[in-house]
Amino acid sequence: MDVLLFGMVAEKAGAISIAVEARSLVELRRELSERIPGIERLSYAIAVDRQVIHEDRALTGTEEIAVLPPFAGG
Amino acid sequence: MSTTPPHRKRNIFVKGAIPPSFIAESIAKHATRTDIGAHEIFLGQVRSDAMSGTGDGSMAPTVSAIEYTAYRDMANEQMNAIREEAFARWPQMTCLHVHHSQGVIKAGELCFMVFASSPHRQQAREAVAYVTDEVKKRLPIFGKEILSDTTHVWKRNT
Repeated sequence: MDVLLFGMVAEKAGAISIAVEARSLVELRRELSERIPGIERLSYAIAVDRQVIHEDRALTGTEEIAVLPPFAGG
Repeated sequence: MSTTPPHRKRNIFVKGAIPPSFIAESIAKHATRTDIGAHEIFLGQVRSDAMSGTGDGSMAPTVSAIEYTAYRDMANEQMNAIREEAFARWPQMTCLHVHHSQGVIKAGELCFMVFASSPHRQQAREAVAYVTDEVKKRLPIFGKEILSDTTHVWKRNT
Protein backbone atom coordinates (compact mmCIF):
# COMPACT_ATOMS: atom_id res chain seq x y z
CA MET A 1 0.00 0.00 0.00
CA ASP A 2 1.11 3.57 -0.56
CA VAL A 3 1.48 5.52 2.66
CA LEU A 4 1.25 9.33 2.51
CA LEU A 5 4.01 11.25 4.26
CA PHE A 6 3.88 14.84 5.48
CA GLY A 7 6.03 17.56 7.00
CA MET A 8 9.21 16.51 8.72
CA VAL A 9 8.49 12.82 8.00
CA ALA A 10 8.34 13.51 4.25
CA GLU A 11 11.53 15.53 4.59
CA LYS A 12 13.30 12.69 6.39
CA ALA A 13 12.11 10.13 3.84
CA GLY A 14 12.86 12.39 0.88
CA ALA A 15 9.45 11.43 -0.54
CA ILE A 16 5.77 12.30 -0.15
CA SER A 17 4.68 8.68 -0.20
CA ILE A 18 6.22 5.28 0.35
CA ALA A 19 5.10 1.77 -0.66
CA VAL A 20 4.86 -0.46 2.42
CA GLU A 21 3.59 -3.98 3.08
CA ALA A 22 1.90 -4.15 6.48
CA ARG A 23 -1.05 -6.08 7.88
CA SER A 24 -1.47 -3.97 10.99
CA LEU A 25 -0.52 -0.56 12.37
CA VAL A 26 2.13 -2.16 14.61
CA GLU A 27 3.68 -3.77 11.52
CA LEU A 28 3.42 -0.47 9.70
CA ARG A 29 5.33 1.37 12.45
CA ARG A 30 8.03 -1.32 12.42
CA GLU A 31 8.28 -1.11 8.63
CA LEU A 32 8.48 2.70 8.73
CA SER A 33 11.34 2.52 11.27
CA GLU A 34 13.28 0.28 8.88
CA ARG A 35 12.56 2.32 5.79
CA ILE A 36 12.92 5.86 7.19
CA PRO A 37 16.02 6.07 9.39
CA GLY A 38 15.46 8.28 12.43
CA ILE A 39 11.63 8.25 12.23
CA GLU A 40 11.42 6.49 15.59
CA ARG A 41 12.88 9.62 17.21
CA LEU A 42 10.05 11.75 15.82
CA SER A 43 6.64 11.80 17.37
CA TYR A 44 4.08 10.96 14.71
CA ALA A 45 0.49 9.77 14.44
CA ILE A 46 -1.04 7.46 11.87
CA ALA A 47 -4.32 8.29 10.17
CA VAL A 48 -6.44 5.53 8.64
CA ASP A 49 -9.00 6.85 6.18
CA ARG A 50 -8.40 10.37 7.48
CA GLN A 51 -8.92 9.55 11.18
CA VAL A 52 -6.05 9.41 13.67
CA ILE A 53 -5.90 5.89 15.17
CA HIS A 54 -3.99 5.41 18.43
CA GLU A 55 -4.44 1.67 19.07
CA ASP A 56 -3.32 -1.20 16.84
CA ARG A 57 -5.60 -2.23 14.02
CA ALA A 58 -5.58 -4.77 11.17
CA LEU A 59 -5.08 -3.34 7.68
CA THR A 60 -6.52 -4.78 4.48
CA GLY A 61 -4.40 -2.72 2.13
CA THR A 62 -7.32 -0.70 0.77
CA GLU A 63 -7.20 2.02 3.43
CA GLU A 64 -5.82 5.51 2.91
CA ILE A 65 -2.88 5.63 5.34
CA ALA A 66 -0.99 8.78 6.29
CA VAL A 67 1.93 9.47 8.63
CA LEU A 68 1.38 12.75 10.46
CA PRO A 69 4.04 14.66 12.39
CA PRO A 70 2.92 17.24 15.00
CA PHE A 71 0.29 19.67 13.75
CA ALA A 72 1.19 23.34 13.34
CA GLY A 73 -1.88 25.04 11.90
CA GLY A 74 -2.97 28.50 12.90
CA MET B 1 -24.09 30.21 6.10
CA SER B 2 -26.57 28.40 8.31
CA THR B 3 -28.57 27.43 5.21
CA THR B 4 -25.64 25.37 3.88
CA PRO B 5 -26.18 21.61 4.05
CA PRO B 6 -23.83 20.35 6.76
CA HIS B 7 -22.00 17.82 4.56
CA ARG B 8 -21.23 20.05 1.59
CA LYS B 9 -17.58 19.68 0.58
CA ARG B 10 -15.70 22.78 1.60
CA ASN B 11 -12.10 23.74 1.17
CA ILE B 12 -10.56 26.03 3.75
CA PHE B 13 -7.17 26.38 2.02
CA VAL B 14 -6.01 29.43 0.16
CA LYS B 15 -2.75 29.75 -1.72
CA GLY B 16 -0.40 32.23 -0.07
CA ALA B 17 -1.13 34.84 2.57
CA ILE B 18 -4.65 36.07 3.34
CA PRO B 19 -4.78 39.69 2.11
CA PRO B 20 -6.28 42.20 4.57
CA SER B 21 -8.57 43.31 1.72
CA PHE B 22 -10.08 39.79 1.66
CA ILE B 23 -11.13 40.25 5.29
CA ALA B 24 -12.70 43.62 4.54
CA GLU B 25 -14.59 42.05 1.62
CA SER B 26 -15.74 39.17 3.83
CA ILE B 27 -17.22 41.67 6.27
CA ALA B 28 -18.85 43.63 3.45
CA LYS B 29 -20.57 40.47 2.12
CA HIS B 30 -22.56 40.24 5.34
CA ALA B 31 -24.20 43.65 4.94
CA THR B 32 -27.32 42.04 3.45
CA ARG B 33 -27.74 39.77 6.49
CA THR B 34 -29.56 42.23 8.72
CA ASP B 35 -30.29 39.53 11.31
CA ILE B 36 -26.59 39.69 12.25
CA GLY B 37 -25.68 41.93 15.17
CA ALA B 38 -22.12 40.81 15.89
CA HIS B 39 -19.06 39.67 13.99
CA GLU B 40 -16.10 38.09 15.76
CA ILE B 41 -12.85 37.51 13.86
CA PHE B 42 -9.62 35.76 14.80
CA LEU B 43 -6.62 36.38 12.55
CA GLY B 44 -3.38 34.45 12.79
CA GLN B 45 -0.24 36.32 11.74
CA VAL B 46 3.20 34.79 11.18
CA ARG B 47 5.38 35.87 14.09
CA SER B 48 9.10 36.47 13.77
CA ASP B 49 10.17 34.38 16.77
CA ALA B 50 13.82 34.32 17.78
CA MET B 51 15.14 30.76 17.94
CA SER B 52 17.02 29.77 21.08
CA GLY B 53 20.65 30.82 20.78
CA THR B 54 23.41 28.38 19.93
CA GLY B 55 25.30 29.39 23.06
CA ASP B 56 28.36 30.51 21.12
CA GLY B 57 27.43 34.18 21.35
CA SER B 58 26.23 34.42 17.76
CA MET B 59 22.94 36.13 17.02
CA ALA B 60 19.95 33.80 17.29
CA PRO B 61 18.20 33.45 13.92
CA THR B 62 14.60 34.62 13.65
CA VAL B 63 11.63 33.18 11.75
CA SER B 64 11.37 34.96 8.41
CA ALA B 65 8.51 32.86 6.99
CA ILE B 66 6.47 29.70 7.52
CA GLU B 67 5.85 27.25 4.70
CA TYR B 68 2.52 25.56 5.35
CA THR B 69 1.59 22.19 3.87
CA ALA B 70 -1.45 20.10 4.72
CA TYR B 71 -3.15 16.76 4.35
CA ARG B 72 -5.97 18.60 2.72
CA ASP B 73 -8.66 15.91 2.50
CA MET B 74 -8.35 15.07 6.19
CA ALA B 75 -8.08 18.73 7.21
CA ASN B 76 -11.25 19.63 5.33
CA GLU B 77 -13.08 16.64 6.82
CA GLN B 78 -11.95 17.59 10.33
CA MET B 79 -13.02 21.17 9.67
CA ASN B 80 -16.50 19.99 8.65
CA ALA B 81 -16.75 18.09 11.94
CA ILE B 82 -15.61 21.14 13.94
CA ARG B 83 -18.09 23.31 12.02
CA GLU B 84 -20.96 20.96 12.88
CA GLU B 85 -19.91 20.90 16.55
CA ALA B 86 -19.85 24.71 16.59
CA PHE B 87 -23.32 25.04 15.04
CA ALA B 88 -24.65 22.45 17.50
CA ARG B 89 -23.20 24.34 20.48
CA TRP B 90 -24.09 27.84 19.29
CA PRO B 91 -27.25 27.31 17.24
CA GLN B 92 -27.96 31.01 16.89
CA MET B 93 -24.70 31.52 15.03
CA THR B 94 -25.56 32.86 11.59
CA CYS B 95 -22.40 31.84 9.74
CA LEU B 96 -18.85 30.66 10.16
CA HIS B 97 -15.97 31.10 7.72
CA VAL B 98 -12.53 29.55 8.13
CA HIS B 99 -9.52 29.98 5.85
CA HIS B 100 -5.95 28.78 6.21
CA SER B 101 -2.94 29.50 4.04
CA GLN B 102 -0.80 27.02 2.15
CA GLY B 103 2.64 27.85 0.81
CA VAL B 104 5.23 30.33 2.06
CA ILE B 105 3.83 33.07 4.33
CA LYS B 106 6.25 35.78 5.39
CA ALA B 107 6.49 37.15 8.94
CA GLY B 108 3.84 39.82 9.36
CA GLU B 109 1.44 38.25 6.86
CA LEU B 110 -1.87 36.63 7.76
CA CYS B 111 -2.19 32.85 7.53
CA PHE B 112 -5.43 31.97 9.36
CA MET B 113 -8.89 33.47 9.68
CA VAL B 114 -11.88 32.38 11.75
CA PHE B 115 -14.94 34.59 11.24
CA ALA B 116 -18.26 33.99 13.00
CA SER B 117 -21.41 36.07 12.96
CA SER B 118 -24.47 35.91 15.18
CA PRO B 119 -27.36 38.09 16.33
CA HIS B 120 -25.55 38.84 19.63
CA ARG B 121 -21.87 38.92 20.52
CA GLN B 122 -21.64 36.06 23.02
CA GLN B 123 -22.25 33.24 20.54
CA ALA B 124 -19.87 34.53 17.90
CA ARG B 125 -17.18 35.17 20.50
CA GLU B 126 -17.38 31.71 22.06
CA ALA B 127 -17.59 29.97 18.69
CA VAL B 128 -14.48 31.71 17.34
CA ALA B 129 -12.48 30.79 20.45
CA TYR B 130 -13.61 27.16 20.19
CA VAL B 131 -13.05 26.80 16.44
CA THR B 132 -9.62 28.47 16.59
CA ASP B 133 -8.41 26.08 19.31
CA GLU B 134 -9.86 22.98 17.63
CA VAL B 135 -8.33 23.85 14.25
CA LYS B 136 -4.90 24.14 15.88
CA LYS B 137 -5.38 20.80 17.65
CA ARG B 138 -7.10 18.66 15.01
CA LEU B 139 -6.21 19.79 11.50
CA PRO B 140 -3.20 18.06 9.88
CA ILE B 141 -1.40 21.22 8.84
CA PHE B 142 2.39 21.33 8.98
CA GLY B 143 4.60 24.40 9.27
CA LYS B 144 8.22 24.69 8.25
CA GLU B 145 9.69 27.78 9.91
CA ILE B 146 12.25 29.27 7.55
CA LEU B 147 14.88 31.12 9.54
CA SER B 148 16.87 34.23 8.76
CA ASP B 149 20.04 32.12 8.42
CA THR B 150 18.27 29.96 5.73
CA THR B 151 18.03 26.90 7.99
CA HIS B 152 14.61 25.68 9.08
CA VAL B 153 12.80 24.08 11.99
CA TRP B 154 9.40 22.38 12.08
CA LYS B 155 6.76 24.24 14.05
CA ARG B 156 4.55 22.30 16.46
CA ASN B 157 1.45 23.53 18.24
CA THR B 158 1.56 23.16 21.99
